[in-house]
Amino acid sequence: MLEIEGLTKFFGGLAALLGVDISVKPGEILGLIGPNGAGKTTFFNLVSGVLRPTRGRVVFEGNDITAKKTHHITKKGIVRTFQAINIFPEFSVIQNVVLSCHLKPGVGLLETVLHTGGSRHKEREILHRSQAILELVGLDRMAKVTARNLAHGHKRILGIAIALAAEPKLLLLDEPLSGMNAEEVSEAMRLIHRLWQRGMTILLIEHNMRAAMSLCQRIVVLNFGKKIAGGSPEEIRRNPEVIQAYLGAGEHAT
Amino acid sequence: MNRRIVIFSSGYGTLIVFLFFLPLIFSGPYHIHILILTMINIILASSLRLINLSGQLSLAHGGMMTVGAYTSTLLVMKLGLSSWGALVLAGFSAGVIAYLIGFPFVRLRGIYFSIVTIFFSEMVVLTAEQWQGLTGGSSGIFNIPRPYPIVIPGVLKIDFSSKVDFYYLALVLMFVSLLILYAVENSRIGLTLRGIQQADSLAESVGINTAGFKVLAFSIGCFFAGLTGGFYSQYISAINPDAFSFLFTIYILVYMTVGGADRFVGPILGASILTILREVSRPLKQFEPFFFAATLMVVIFFIPEGMVGLPERIRRAVGKLFKMRTKGA
Amino acid sequence: MSTGALSQSILNGLALGGIYILVALGLTLVLSIMGIVQVSHGEIYMIGAYSIYYLVAVLGANFLLALVISTLFVGGLGIVLERLCFRPFRGQPDRAFTISIALILILQNVVLSIAGGNPRTYSSPITGVLHIMGVAISWKRLIIVLVGLGLLIALFLFIRMTKTGQAMLAISQEREGAALQGMNIDRISGVAMFLGCGLAAIAGALIGSLFSISPTMGGFALMKGIAVIILGGLGSIPGAVVGGLILGLVDGVLPALTTTHIAGLIGFATIILILIFRPQGIWGHE
Repeated sequence: MLEIEGLTKFFGGLAALLGVDISVKPGEILGLIGPNGAGKTTFFNLVSGVLRPTRGRVVFEGNDITAKKTHHITKKGIVRTFQAINIFPEFSVIQNVVLSCHLKPGVGLLETVLHTGGSRHKEREILHRSQAILELVGLDRMAKVTARNLAHGHKRILGIAIALAAEPKLLLLDEPLSGMNAEEVSEAMRLIHRLWQRGMTILLIEHNMRAAMSLCQRIVVLNFGKKIAGGSPEEIRRNPEVIQAYLGAGEHAT
Repeated sequence: MNRRIVIFSSGYGTLIVFLFFLPLIFSGPYHIHILILTMINIILASSLRLINLSGQLSLAHGGMMTVGAYTSTLLVMKLGLSSWGALVLAGFSAGVIAYLIGFPFVRLRGIYFSIVTIFFSEMVVLTAEQWQGLTGGSSGIFNIPRPYPIVIPGVLKIDFSSKVDFYYLALVLMFVSLLILYAVENSRIGLTLRGIQQADSLAESVGINTAGFKVLAFSIGCFFAGLTGGFYSQYISAINPDAFSFLFTIYILVYMTVGGADRFVGPILGASILTILREVSRPLKQFEPFFFAATLMVVIFFIPEGMVGLPERIRRAVGKLFKMRTKGA
Repeated sequence: MSTGALSQSILNGLALGGIYILVALGLTLVLSIMGIVQVSHGEIYMIGAYSIYYLVAVLGANFLLALVISTLFVGGLGIVLERLCFRPFRGQPDRAFTISIALILILQNVVLSIAGGNPRTYSSPITGVLHIMGVAISWKRLIIVLVGLGLLIALFLFIRMTKTGQAMLAISQEREGAALQGMNIDRISGVAMFLGCGLAAIAGALIGSLFSISPTMGGFALMKGIAVIILGGLGSIPGAVVGGLILGLVDGVLPALTTTHIAGLIGFATIILILIFRPQGIWGHE
């Protein structure tokens, strides 16, 4: 589904990513792990059009999307979540999702200003779809809450709901579990599993080892911008280079 | 639902009727002039706010007004176009220019965007001064004809020979402008702009063409600036490159901010109160700027959300006072 | 263009450059230490010019004495503004910006109501012409270049050699870290405003010796100051110096080759293009 060939990014003289080849198969959950600074978020930024690669190609479902603008890539079907600013803080939870339904069905500029019957119909559709998404992720009871007042864990879930609103074929989750307590982690893992069961293809960056190992069918490991290993969770767990990378960086596998 | 509609429309209905008959109360030409200026400032401050919704502070309004003024004047005087067509085209010329410069400009963040809009306005002034053959250079153009008369046989003949005619034209322009601005803001476009202001990259990630929307807001806002410039040139009958200077744009910005940039009614409030304040304090001569300054400072320091926040604050203060009283008893 | 005319233009350019550098330095000082784009900087410059006007042309004081008094006065005004208007909003750059915008209106209108809108003039302390290698160099302009140079060196020494100067350097690079180290941000912000406004006042005083002054002259200075900072790179002092020289020379020489209006257009267009294509300026970092 997603083919990444030789992806490379230099910042000045610093190589953030060097010749990375990854392929994502439809319907799988692929994990991307590695110590801090390994280049995981840079990878997401390159794939989603936030940064332009120095070298390499990104091909999605046969279309070359290398260095395209983010909103074009989203239209093609790849949607990412963010670690930092991942919600619209001043909007209510439901408004967050309603806004994110921007692409589907696609309300025209003029018809929305004129509040035509057609646009009102589309907005009703959007409202229903947003409510369904909130039910799916478990935030439906908090629909009217202002997003910045949510607990941290719920904010991250909202971030996923926002991405779902854009109807992705491939979902890029950037550390969705960060900062969550044990209960929130379980809820979130159940959600990600549910999404996968419904046929979503997911590329997951995660620091939480246990979660990554249990959710993903395959895992790719990055270190210092290079891909150092790829395979099933068991293979990765036993891979000496991977263990060395984490011990060397002072990381502990949780 | 019905009760709300009744209250809503009777409130606005009364306001419209009041504004319609206002010139009968304040009938002197000076007073009419102040009212017209106030309405112009309301349009300007409100259109500035639309651009501001997307998180971009534009200081191009002065330049856009100049563009609109010259466009309207040249279309009427050199091409013989109807003043009404010229007025609309004044708006569109500003809007189109905003669209063209918008794409490179909106790539700049924060203060840099504001800086290039200031530079744009300066460049408009320099262009007008340089292109003497067309624009009359620094002295500008005089004797701009009045708007074409509006004639409904047997019922109405408005020939714009008196200021009052311009008052009603300004009133209509203001209502139409505010209606459009309000409709845009309360549509999905407004929602999208506010989303872009809160989280630019997030909006982009759900498929929103953030640059495109910012340019859209910029173009619409500048359209109204151009329209106002066109009106102004037909009202004052003269234009020159310096008419809508940097300082003029700063005043509009202050009207919007001090009135309250967060609510639709903020710029309307700010423009009305401050324009009238400036005129009313004119008799104070030397002390006028101090009076104006004091007002600005009080609002900025104590009511950061702008004048729109005043009713709420008063309500809360009164409420607290009331609670203290009843507690004592 | 004859060599005479060319050298006049170059001297004009250097003098303008000196003034631009002074304005830009003042703006940069306040920006890097207080984190505010102090847009009423142009009005401060204007007040400096009017102070000289009142002291020299109205009261007949000696120019140098007037310069000292006016610099202290405007510097003091800067300290007052910092204390009253900017300190309460430290950490809220949006509100501080609104205040600076309001100050533009307030300061300009105050001067307008006191001095009236008509342009005023006063003369430079030393008039006449110096002849070097057959080229006539007006003292008016030479003084500006020399004063600019002198102040640059003084500022450089101040930053290098005094504790306050070193503290200012530290704060400009890392504001929160410096506060944690126990530096008195209040006092140093006051110093920054004093110096920044003082520099602007001197620039205003100097330009008044060349051209007539009016209450609206501040906008010009603000725009040139911002252009210099963009050209040279935000927060960079050597950048401001080089940027100021380049812009000054362009503004001095270009109008002789074409009209002032087209020269101005070229100037603005260049800065806009730089912002779009190389926003870090000549010296800045990405």
